[in-house]
Amino acid sequence: MADVRRTSAGWPDRTARLVAPTLAAAVEALADTRERGFTFVDTQGKERFYSFHELHKEALKRSYGLRRLGLAKGDRISLIVAESDDFVLTLLGAVLAGVVPVPIYPRLGFKASDGYVDTVAHITRAAGSSAIVTTQQQEPHVRDAMPRCPTVTQLIDMEKLASAAEGEPLAPVQITPDDIAFLQFTSGSTNLPKGVVVKHGNLAANCRAFMYEGLQADPAAGDKGVSWLPLFHDMGLIGFVMGPLFTDIPVVFLPTSSFARSPRVWLEAAHRHRATLTYAPNFGYALAAKRLKERDLQGLDLSCLRVAGCGAEPIQIGTLRAFADKLAPTGFKPEYLLPCYGMAEGTLAITFTKLTDVARADHVSAEALQAGKASPAAEGVAANDIVCCGTPFENHEVRIVDDAGNPLGERQVGQIITRGPSVCGSYYENPEASAESFKSGGWLYTGDLGYLADGELYICGRLKDVIIVRGRNFYPQDIEWCVAQIEGARRDNVVAFGVTEDGEEKLVVIAETSRVQAKALREEIPKRVLDEIGLQPFKVELVALGTLPKTSSGKPQRRKTKALWSSGQFVASTHADSAETANVQERSE
Amino acid sequence: MTRIELIGLFEKTATEIAERDIKGLSELTEISTLGIDSLGILELVGEMEKQLGIQLPDDQLVGLTKIGDLLDLVEKRRQLAS
Repeated sequence: MADVRRTSAGWPDRTARLVAPTLAAAVEALADTRERGFTFVDTQGKERFYSFHELHKEALKRSYGLRRLGLAKGDRISLIVAESDDFVLTLLGAVLAGVVPVPIYPRLGFKASDGYVDTVAHITRAAGSSAIVTTQQQEPHVRDAMPRCPTVTQLIDMEKLASAAEGEPLAPVQITPDDIAFLQFTSGSTNLPKGVVVKHGNLAANCRAFMYEGLQADPAAGDKGVSWLPLFHDMGLIGFVMGPLFTDIPVVFLPTSSFARSPRVWLEAAHRHRATLTYAPNFGYALAAKRLKERDLQGLDLSCLRVAGCGAEPIQIGTLRAFADKLAPTGFKPEYLLPCYGMAEGTLAITFTKLTDVARADHVSAEALQAGKASPAAEGVAANDIVCCGTPFENHEVRIVDDAGNPLGERQVGQIITRGPSVCGSYYENPEASAESFKSGGWLYTGDLGYLADGELYICGRLKDVIIVRGRNFYPQDIEWCVAQIEGARRDNVVAFGVTEDGEEKLVVIAETSRVQAKALREEIPKRVLDEIGLQPFKVELVALGTLPKTSSGKPQRRKTKALWSSGQFVASTHADSAETANVQERSE
Repeated sequence: MTRIELIGLFEKTATEIAERDIKGLSELTEISTLGIDSLGILELVGEMEKQLGIQLPDDQLVGLTKIGDLLDLVEKRRQLAS
């Protein structure tokens, strides 16, 4: 058993459930820990181990580098780095300097660059970053965004940072729990991005809650994480970088792209490193269950795991069961699966199921559910299986409220609200959006619908129209705007919404258009949406002008449109099976 | 394996991943028109790597738009591997 002592600062202390008050103090407390650390695996499979001692030393150097380049406490930097080691070290360097990192996903793969440059520009402007910190490889994509970011005065690549990092140590920067640790831009539409302000105090509270209470993480018992989650997303960054730093837990990081290419990479790393903790969104388990063949599992012993958590998007009990069945020959047990609920506005985790429980779902009547009541379904009636997401942490509360904010009772469906020290206070310099989500009494209005039964939380859907696919949030207004730019489509004549098909959320686009333009639009809409938004529409319906339900001010009504579409009402008015119809029309003209 | 055979392998793999028939592709087909999202494309690349016994590094995938571009990279990597 590893010899794990408390640091001289007194934290982390698992027995007393005590963590450092700030991320900076947590990193400093690990300065003498040589036996545990982070292992970064690159896309070629090569591993590089940094002990926490080395991690602290290198992060401190980078903090000097950032300060020598003129960055000071409170300044924001857009951080766009694909390599996980450089990303983590630079992010921690910024944190030690009091500089506020703003992680933005790097450009990878075949995607067209226009949408990417927009994202970088919008987030950088909203954060008011004074520098963009990136790598030489990403620089060409990032450079195009620079003219649109008036607050940015410098572009810093890893070489420039490394040379500025050399030299004498600088005096430490004082960081308090009330200082901003980083800005988490995961929510809000592309055009109006919202950055959650995550303070050190929020991070400490949440990391303590999910690592100690939720996971009962213990370095002395050999706990070790393995993760392929992207580090610009809260589950990867807070769940596997920050939580483990607060509690002295080693982690192995795999590139997300390696997992997407071959899910076996994930399980093989868990096996080889004897990992005990891992996480994935629902789609990760679905992808692994679908792609892994029996022969892929040969030689794998995954009885070392004790938690395979699931969160970040709606959870399907069938997916979890299929994964557990598939992996049974490796010694993987169904009780490892741990459904959770959380969101960036609550730092990360809000509720956790018990470690000893097997993931389970509530079988409720579909009809009652539509009426707002989660009644257990009688045999033979249409029913929904809703996964139990567990209970809130100590010092945190969860309630269900109606539209007016009044608390609702057992098994009544309403909006989920939560409060406690993990709940962030605002979106960065966005009082309007902040007022909508962060309300008096410290309550976060999540915009998610759910109910409580026996004190446990069940998630039913969302109040807001956001569409979540594979852990990514898509906003209907962005998709509608994108489609409206196509010739033949018009603003206020397009509606986008999500539907659940085969347990996955999928996009439906309905556009009003004239008969002649229907054929071209049918081809162009999926292409354009995939190109610019990165999402493949499941269905594109083209309907006659005047078909979509509108408000008195002429805006299309998304929910009503969705309800009509779901009940098959648009079929009659669709420009019908339409390629042929459009063809005929064209020929006859 | 000829370019035509490689396109055939690409079609077969894309069909598996998209779970619908994908055929009639050419060197000039834009990858973004296949109706497969970025994660699915990586799945596809992973499957091609497995079938061909090569590696296609992430940084060399950036900026590829047509199937022909991908096949150029595949051929380059196959020569390196042999």
